[in-house]
Amino acid sequence: MAALGLAITFLGFVLSVASLGLSSSNSTRLVIVLVGIVVSLGGIIGVINPAYQKNALWKK
Amino acid sequence: MTKRSLKILLCLATFGCLSTTGMAQGQAPGSPPAAAASVPVTSTDFKTTPTDRTHGDPDGSLTGTATDITVSSADAGLTIADVLNQIGANKIGINFAWTLLCGFLIMFMQAGFAVVETGLTRAKNANHTMMMNFMVYGVGMGAYYLIGFALQMGGAGAVANLGGSPVLNAEHTMHLFGKDFGLWGNTGYLLMHHGTYDVAVMVIFLFQMVFMDTALTIVTGTAAERWKYTAFVVSSFVMGAFTYPIFANWAWGGGWLAMLGANFGLGHGYSDFAGSGVVHSVGAVTALALGIMIGPRIGKFDRQGKPRAIPGHDLTWVLTGCFILAFGWFGFNPGSTLALSGNGGLRAASVAVNTMLAGMTGSFGAILYMWIRYGKPDASMTGNGFLAGLVAITAPCGFVNPIASCFIGLVAGVLVCLSVEFLDRFMRVDDPVGAVSVHGANGLWGVISVGLFADGKSNYGGSWNGVPGAVTGLFYGDGGQLVAQLIGVSTLLGFVFVMSFVVNILIDVVVGQRVSARTELEGLDIPEMGAVCYPDFVLKTED
Repeated sequence: MAALGLAITFLGFVLSVASLGLSSSNSTRLVIVLVGIVVSLGGIIGVINPAYQKNALWKK
Repeated sequence: MTKRSLKILLCLATFGCLSTTGMAQGQAPGSPPAAAASVPVTSTDFKTTPTDRTHGDPDGSLTGTATDITVSSADAGLTIADVLNQIGANKIGINFAWTLLCGFLIMFMQAGFAVVETGLTRAKNANHTMMMNFMVYGVGMGAYYLIGFALQMGGAGAVANLGGSPVLNAEHTMHLFGKDFGLWGNTGYLLMHHGTYDVAVMVIFLFQMVFMDTALTIVTGTAAERWKYTAFVVSSFVMGAFTYPIFANWAWGGGWLAMLGANFGLGHGYSDFAGSGVVHSVGAVTALALGIMIGPRIGKFDRQGKPRAIPGHDLTWVLTGCFILAFGWFGFNPGSTLALSGNGGLRAASVAVNTMLAGMTGSFGAILYMWIRYGKPDASMTGNGFLAGLVAITAPCGFVNPIASCFIGLVAGVLVCLSVEFLDRFMRVDDPVGAVSVHGANGLWGVISVGLFADGKSNYGGSWNGVPGAVTGLFYGDGGQLVAQLIGVSTLLGFVFVMSFVVNILIDVVVGQRVSARTELEGLDIPEMGAVCYPDFVLKTED
């Protein structure tokens, strides 16, 4: 799961960089970059962290 | 009048005409021409050349005269070229002195970080925490000297304010979307490679090195009280050699983020005046990666996952450290002009005031939040609010006005409290000193705030990142700048975090990141360091 989370987090970055080639409109780029940031945050907060919390010390 | 005096008069009269012409070009239209051009220079304009200094110069009137100008040829005497060279040397000397002194101030921030972090941890781990903060300076500097500086600044080009040394000229690029993407520099290894044994390069190295070390020391706070010392050394070395320099190259070394304006029309490219993103966010996302990976301290959460406060052992150190850091910040932000003379150097005054204002409102934001929400003005969070304001203003300090600085700091003060609660209650990431919230949440806020509040009034030599004009944010008419800043945020979250995570997983596999439960309960000082910090104290050991 952590590996998947890392991939999702990295995908957010790829999306943001891709916005430079996908559009020359700054508004469109803004939307794509915001999506990229949300994807990366989702990867960190929603996937990687829960994967490590599954066997957290305080649960034992 | 001697022959030498006549030559001096002739030279200075000529130079006076030249410099007056130069100054007139910079005057506002309609202002009267400078009258000084028509006033002849006479021998009375010179300070008396002292022949007898046996009685000293108590009022300073005899010290600093034309005779102090270095003459290139004794036969020719003082020439106009000598005078002009002296002016150039003075300009660069002023900028060297400024940048070096600011670098020395930043170096002292390591002491601030050390006592803040140690004060916020328990006495049984004080030696370990201090030793991490002490050795991160040397470990980071070694890595940066060997590898990191070349990767970061090896393709940065000449810095005009520091003499324009052209030897940092090798940037490795990748062609994408029809443009060159600068990825890393490739000269300056060991400060000897390809002519980098150069005084201007030395100034740049010193200044950039202390920035890098600031980023590294952020991580030690989040991982405190459970991080294996060996893992800390390896992790810090890798961060100083690779993780930090790569992002710093993209932002400050002429890399692709800086060129988003010139290549893709996004404002002036990613603009981070003194490092909310480059320094603080890089440190904080690495800290977050480690915080997630090594897990919380024993006792931080109950079986239901409810956070419990683990108070630090010395609030005096915490708040004293905050002041040491704020003092060092006057090197961090104003020093990033890299000049007091020429190319916007005088803007350092505005940068310094913006910095102190944001720190002030940051502490107000945090103290008010804590007072209203919990009924008491929490000391450690007030200190963190102070630092949060300083972190947030670090990127925009060179581009915004004082009112915007106050607002940015105020938001930061509240944001740091919200972020601490989010990490504690929602993510259950244990961050003993609040480093992720202070440096991460507010580092990113600082980066974004450039794209919102930059007022277009700054002028650092007529252009920034190769784009003419001043950095201007969304609220002053340039939405493209905000997009550039957000791409920087996305890079920090999606690239730097992932890189840091992967590096530290490998370190975990090889040397292990976390100490044993027994060591943690006993306190890390004896098992890891071999000595306690306070041998005369009776320390409480957990069961």
